[in-house]
Amino acid sequence: MSNTLKATKLDFSLVKPYIKVIGFTMLLPIAFAAINRSILTGVSFAMCFIAMTTGYTFSVTEKNSMERLYGILPIKKSEMVTGRYLFVLALGAMALVVSLITQPIVLRAMGESVGAFDMISAAIGGLFLFALYTVFQIPGYYKYGAIKGRVFMYIPVAGFLATLFFLPKMPADNPFVTTVVSSPVLLIGLVLVLVVVMYVVSIWFSIRIMENKEM
Amino acid sequence: MTNYLEVKNLSKSFDSFQLHNISFTLPKGYIMGLIGPNGSGKTTTIKLILNMLQRNGGEIKIMGLDNIADEQKAKAELGVVFDTNYFSDDWQVTQVEKSISVFYPNWKSERFAEMLRKFHIAPTKKVKELSKGMQMKLMLACAFSYDAKLLILDEPTSGLDPVSRDELLQILSEYIEDGEHSVLFSTHITGDLERAADYITYISYGELFFSGSKDEFVDMFRIVKGGTEELSADLKEKAVGVRTFPTGFEALVKTEDTGAFSPLSIEPATIDEIVVFTSKKGDDYE
Repeated sequence: MSNTLKATKLDFSLVKPYIKVIGFTMLLPIAFAAINRSILTGVSFAMCFIAMTTGYTFSVTEKNSMERLYGILPIKKSEMVTGRYLFVLALGAMALVVSLITQPIVLRAMGESVGAFDMISAAIGGLFLFALYTVFQIPGYYKYGAIKGRVFMYIPVAGFLATLFFLPKMPADNPFVTTVVSSPVLLIGLVLVLVVVMYVVSIWFSIRIMENKEM
Repeated sequence: MTNYLEVKNLSKSFDSFQLHNISFTLPKGYIMGLIGPNGSGKTTTIKLILNMLQRNGGEIKIMGLDNIADEQKAKAELGVVFDTNYFSDDWQVTQVEKSISVFYPNWKSERFAEMLRKFHIAPTKKVKELSKGMQMKLMLACAFSYDAKLLILDEPTSGLDPVSRDELLQILSEYIEDGEHSVLFSTHITGDLERAADYITYISYGELFFSGSKDEFVDMFRIVKGGTEELSADLKEKAVGVRTFPTGFEALVKTEDTGAFSPLSIEPATIDEIVVFTSKKGDDYE
């Protein structure tokens, strides 16, 4: 097993006591999907909620002064950080899978039709939201700790507000926007590339923070 | 003689504290006490050895490996015990093994189980349910399970009752018995070192005061005692530190200077007395 995977495994053992809370967080958005009769809404809520639980690893570490444990383990700081991102992505993937299984069942039981396109759109939207939250949060937690670092969770919210403000001011006939919106495949591809780039930059920042951090 | 730990000219600057040119060597098969008053730089030195702090200068080798360039290899040979435990409070003892063992290729589960039995630690207990002494033993059990060659303990006895302290010293003595393991043991409870340590490194206010064998350290000083009228100006000048009482005085003097005070009572100094007197930087105090 690589050191990165070992670090991921350690993170899973850190959040073990919170497993019920995390499970509840994964299932709660079924209610949102049912109320809004939309899988896009349900998955989006699920991914936003689960993104908030990624701070548990940092809180447990801080509460138990476990930075000393990380300081003595025979593992590079970069592997430790990458392992944490892998844990976060695994948690996000689990939430996505749970949502994509449970929510269509509930919606179909309510008489709503949920097609493959709806599910793909919901998955891509949820993934993007999850990435948007976590890429800011994690470096914030590494830099400022579990309590002060929470501020970084609100950066995407500010981003949304800014987008809502500037979007109407963009020219409607912008060729890039019209091309992307008219082609779902292109849109999905673009989102996926954006997510990868965001994570690469975020991981780079987190590694830099950890390498300069004194424990 | 193989050295398990070599620290050369180690320096670290903080805003309000500086560690200057600390050098010492810990040979294989021995216990070294790292002593000094609170805030003298013991924990800083240990954190620099573990690369948890970034040094400003100097060199550290753990079993011949550079502590930064070969950090992973070096840490695989290190066992560390801090004054408080570094596991999640909510973990069961069995979970501690599951979480930590993967990082150490030499980890032996049978050895861990044996250590738990020896230390009377119930595997089903949660870390937070263990006493401070038991938590320390759990950290030791982990280090022994992957056969850490060098054990670093930072103030392990602070907050322990005398029985637990005695047990710890016994464990450390057994640990180095085969001559293949070494211990660096920071403490301000110097009484522990009288019994366990072979070497002493004494840091005072960020400066290295002494590093060498314990016997050599203790033999460097003597305690001179006498009545108030016997405290001469010459003695005051030669003493490293003087403590006066309404009925008399006690002074720490260098062994080579004791000839001048032969009519007075001269006794061997304890490590505690040396640290107390030298930390006062030669000032008189009552």
